[in-house]
Amino acid sequence: MTSPAQRVDAMGPRRGSVGTVARFLLPKIGQALFVVWASYTVAFLLIHALPGDPILAALAVRGGDATTTDPAVLDELRARYGLDGPLWQQYLGGFFGIFRGDLGVSIATGLPVSETILRVAGPTTALAGFALIVGFLIALAFTVWAYLARPAWVRNVIVQIPPLGIAVPAFLTGLVLITVFSFGLGWFPASGASGFASVVLPGITLALPTAAIFFQVFSAAVFDAGASPFVFTANAKGLSQSAVVFRHVLRNAMLPAITIIGLQVGYLAGGTAVVETVFSRDGIGRLTVDSVLARDINVLMGVVIVVATVYAVVTLVVDALYGVIDPRTRTALAGAKPISAAKEVRT
Amino acid sequence: MITRTRMARWAIAPAGIAVAAVALSACAGDTSDTAPTPNADLPQDIVFAIKEDAGCIDPQQTSVTTALNVGRQLTDSLLDQDAETGEIVPWLAESWEVSDDLTSYTFTLRDDVTFSDDTPLTSEVVAANFDAIIELGGAASLAAAYLEGYTGTEVVSDTEFTVSFDTPNVAFLQGATTMSLGILSEASATATAEERCAAPIGSGPFVLDSYVANDSIVIDRREGYDWPSELRGHEGEAYLETITFPIITEASVRTGGLTSGEYDVIQDLPYIDEARYTTDEYTLYAKANPGVPNGFVVNTEQGLMGDETVRQAITMGVDREQINVIAGSVSGSAPTSVLTSSTPGFTDLGDTLAYDPEGAAELLEADGWELGSDGIYERDGETLTVAVTAFYAQDVLEAAQQQLREVGIDLQLNMVTAGDFFGVIASGDYEMLGAGLTRTDPDVLRVLLSVDSPSRWGIVDDAELEALLQEQRETADADARQEIVDEIQQIVAERAYVIPTLETVQLHASRAGVEGIAFDSASRLNLYDTVVTSE
Repeated sequence: MTSPAQRVDAMGPRRGSVGTVARFLLPKIGQALFVVWASYTVAFLLIHALPGDPILAALAVRGGDATTTDPAVLDELRARYGLDGPLWQQYLGGFFGIFRGDLGVSIATGLPVSETILRVAGPTTALAGFALIVGFLIALAFTVWAYLARPAWVRNVIVQIPPLGIAVPAFLTGLVLITVFSFGLGWFPASGASGFASVVLPGITLALPTAAIFFQVFSAAVFDAGASPFVFTANAKGLSQSAVVFRHVLRNAMLPAITIIGLQVGYLAGGTAVVETVFSRDGIGRLTVDSVLARDINVLMGVVIVVATVYAVVTLVVDALYGVIDPRTRTALAGAKPISAAKEVRT
Repeated sequence: MITRTRMARWAIAPAGIAVAAVALSACAGDTSDTAPTPNADLPQDIVFAIKEDAGCIDPQQTSVTTALNVGRQLTDSLLDQDAETGEIVPWLAESWEVSDDLTSYTFTLRDDVTFSDDTPLTSEVVAANFDAIIELGGAASLAAAYLEGYTGTEVVSDTEFTVSFDTPNVAFLQGATTMSLGILSEASATATAEERCAAPIGSGPFVLDSYVANDSIVIDRREGYDWPSELRGHEGEAYLETITFPIITEASVRTGGLTSGEYDVIQDLPYIDEARYTTDEYTLYAKANPGVPNGFVVNTEQGLMGDETVRQAITMGVDREQINVIAGSVSGSAPTSVLTSSTPGFTDLGDTLAYDPEGAAELLEADGWELGSDGIYERDGETLTVAVTAFYAQDVLEAAQQQLREVGIDLQLNMVTAGDFFGVIASGDYEMLGAGLTRTDPDVLRVLLSVDSPSRWGIVDDAELEALLQEQRETADADARQEIVDEIQQIVAERAYVIPTLETVQLHASRAGVEGIAFDSASRLNLYDTVVTSE
């Protein structure tokens, strides 16, 4: 009566102490901070290595062909947006500003960067959250369907479907969805970011590639688990199909899927630009594209910092979750071997 | 697609005066005698899809077309200009006087105008507006350009004031008709640049209801509005109760939404889709930007550009008709001068700017150039290579590149970002700039070419031209000035200081049941007379 999960659970350590947790988490928090710092530094260097004048670029956005090239005016604006002084000063000033929550002022609009990013965070979170959940459910459904499908050629066909989600560009999916469900049937709005209805179409557009990636990782793990001795045993004991799938197979296939969530959130936080453009939604992706085009380096740096932070925090949470989900991690920790479950799963 | 979008975006601001008949087939709404009236059974609300986040809707600060199309509805100007005849008429100012030397302009205001914050329009407010524009400087570059040489506004009484300049400012009167010099309330004029961007308060027929960045702008009818200029089709309040401007960046979504009925009007119909909307179900609105058409502006101090023969060969080697077919709007026409056909003072120089590849070859060969084995002219081991720096309209440049190659001239394209483009201007490191310059007045040629202009893109050393540019600026008499402007256009075209390629056309579309959309003197839209007449 002991499935592997239960068995491990039974001997799972309740011996965990604060020290163990700290030993597990502290290096990971250090890693997270390093990711944010490194992103800031690399982005700073790259942006400042580019030729051209960000002040002129931002002025040109509003001024068009009447843009002034008067050096005195430009110098004054440079000082106003914190782009004067030596590079190291700007670097340090910007970095310490992060801890005060001060990301500077947008060159293009004159508004505080933190306010601008806060404005787009809502719509992007709604969109990314929706896409993540729907993408996960699609991947789950296809995985179970493929796992149960007989004969083998049907299974092989099903396995080929989800990759289409990443093969078809989001741009095309988006336009097709708008044409059918907005302009054709009138069920959902074609643009805007107000209300749940506005999330659906862009959310599905973004969920398809998300689902494809989930499916790749998830199905591999499920088929692996499906071929393992404990499932053979469970089947041999005459457990119902659903009990085998949900209690034994899926549960054990969960870890890689969670690992990939961290990467997916990182992708979604920065990769929504195309979808947001097609659906005319306000969001962090579009903000990024706009600020790149306008060379609005203050906003760009702000976006890099926020996305890097989100990514680092999600990775940290996922790492911490291993300890909860995978009893082996706890065992390893209790055994005073600071071994990362992530490494274990990945290898 | 991007090229097209960006090009129209940069086609900024003001006045279009159909001095010459432009073959703009579907240019509706200018005629006030046949003004449509609203259908009482239908809600007078429209959805007008615009193509980009305006970023800033203060018409004094921005020169983005989209923002000006919204800002025009919120603000009135001192004067208005007939889009057909170019005649300047009263609006907020009942009357005006210009000093003979064009350095001072005295206006008398209407006394019944209020802003949407219920404060009255007075001379003090106008003075505060102009002072604020100078204060904004680089942030309000177009408006500041119309106020070039501004020394102050002297308030004589509540309704009378004099605007003074230290040099003759011939473009000011025309500038005063544009939304760039639209008048805002005192509260707006004295607010910070950012506050004004988000919520400018004007005296226009519509009031800003909401502006959500990257999402939408909503404007409502101003209750009690009663001071349109005589050029409009009716009096009193605007017909439309609400106009919603969703910001739809993707052109195919805008066209799809117009077809499905989700949007009543769309801004910036891609030229390539134009033919689909010529049926009775839709109305097209097209008008060329005033100013200097898109083209090559030369720097005679760089490369081969100091050689007049080379410049003339380039201008003869460009087939403008073909470029207009390839990259232009069906409603537009090829440029025939160094001013666009919608600019006051435009003179048709079709002969000077005719496509003449043989003539170009003769000219070059007479000057010692020989055709090399690769089909490009050479002289003393030097190949005939010229470079153009631009940040939009790559399709136009590529077409010209092909045409010039056939003539034996190697044109190198140097596409850069907008910021780098102005960086190049600041450093003077270019042979030619590929761009147009949009202004309401023929004075635009002085702005572009004169030695002391802040926007001197064309670097030429030509005392005769310089003298004429200054003279037109100081000439108050319209006929006398026109003669000078004619001469300037002839010189600039003949000596190929500006080599025009394409007239950029503003192209919008609506469903047939929405009428009364008019281009104002600035080639931007005025929606005061707009009505919903059928479903």
